[in-house]
Amino acid sequence: MRVRTPAAVFLILLVAVVLQSTLFGRIRVITPDLVLLVAILIALTRIKPELVLAIAFSAGLVVDLLGSSLLGLRAIVFMSAAYIALRTRERADIGRFATALWAGGMTLIGVVLLVLLGTLFGQSTILGEHVLSRLVTVPLANMLLAFMIAPVLVRTVDQDPAALRY
Amino acid sequence: MLTRDRQPRSDRALPTFITLVVLGILLMTFHVRLEGGGVVNVLRTGTQAIISPVQRGVSYVVTPIADAVEGLGEIAGLREENRFLKAALEESQAQLIAVEDQLARLHLFEALYGLDELETDLGRTVANVIGRPDPFDVGLIIDRGSIHGIAVDQPVIDSNGFVVGSVSSVTPFSSTVVPITGNREGLAVLVGSQVGDLASQAAFSEMRLDIPDAKEPVLAGARVLTSARSVLFPAGLPVGEVVSDADLATSAVSTTVRPYVEIDTLRIVIVLAWPADPISASGEDEIQTEITTTTDGDS
Repeated sequence: MRVRTPAAVFLILLVAVVLQSTLFGRIRVITPDLVLLVAILIALTRIKPELVLAIAFSAGLVVDLLGSSLLGLRAIVFMSAAYIALRTRERADIGRFATALWAGGMTLIGVVLLVLLGTLFGQSTILGEHVLSRLVTVPLANMLLAFMIAPVLVRTVDQDPAALRY
Repeated sequence: MLTRDRQPRSDRALPTFITLVVLGILLMTFHVRLEGGGVVNVLRTGTQAIISPVQRGVSYVVTPIADAVEGLGEIAGLREENRFLKAALEESQAQLIAVEDQLARLHLFEALYGLDELETDLGRTVANVIGRPDPFDVGLIIDRGSIHGIAVDQPVIDSNGFVVGSVSSVTPFSSTVVPITGNREGLAVLVGSQVGDLASQAAFSEMRLDIPDAKEPVLAGARVLTSARSVLFPAGLPVGEVVSDADLATSAVSTTVRPYVEIDTLRIVIVLAWPADPISASGEDEIQTEITTTTDGDS
């Protein structure tokens, strides 16, 4: 991993957290989970798998700390989604549409896990009125975003202009 | 299919995964055991204090963008909404005239009987909603914090005076508000002359109302106000209205309540400095008498 890679990952995560909690926290028609998406897309980079898991865990922990629900809940969920992403990332290499579909699928796994764990731990702040519709809209929005940003994100982190040029 | 020359799938991924799951469960256990206080609170407040200045700055830039996108989505229903609002305005103007008449009579009677107004004014801090932590968290981030006089557990209302929720965490420049629909703790409310408990329901905007010692049925449309038994809210704040009739089959009555506030559309909230004297308020043993004169939110 090059020296600039940690800085790039940190900046991308910071931008994701800030945009998620401000811009996408205000728009009701588009509801992506940008931080979860970044945690998933990091699995497509050349970063070591152990570090990918640590990054996803930290990203989830930051969202936990900014929110009002149980600490560690999203950390586990984001890291689990990243782990499955690491195990299946070869399927995303086919093309841009495949990457988007794969990211949407990983997001679906993540949000279903979040709602399941939230239900088990009695987290009423997660189980709001839109929870069922968000189970559909969040993966769809992430799929759309992944189609647009996945190559750029991977190239930025890997500092490889040829990355994800299918 | 081209496969990229990534790091090989190492044998350490699974042990790392298991270690981090255990760490996550430990964190959750700490959180539950400490009831959100102690180290957990310090970590949460610290992180929010670091991020909140960036959020505030970005919020000023993205708010017009968010409003534009929201506006585009609502263009189709604008004409219908305009017609509805005109009708509502005419109705409100008629009600306003009636209320002004009642108010004049009230002032007359107050003057006749020499009544002095009780010192009920609460400190109010107006705050902007700058966002949400994530799409599944019902909490709201507002741009006012401890330096503006906001403290944990203070009640929050909207600009109409309707109950929104309460402050769950505070940093110097921002706070997080948990709406009543996302709060596990029940809220003591008053319906007519009966006191009940209002609780949130998972995946529903409507809340469940239980009146354990009911004396009369509850009818649809009845107003639900905060009760003086509530330790979280001052008495008399409008919460919502009863959705369906509930007959008095046994001594208990259950029904659903639709809150007046639509959390997703909130842009401005008001944090109340209540109780005015938290130390003496926390030492109160006796339940106050029901006072239901605060109805300004219904105007």
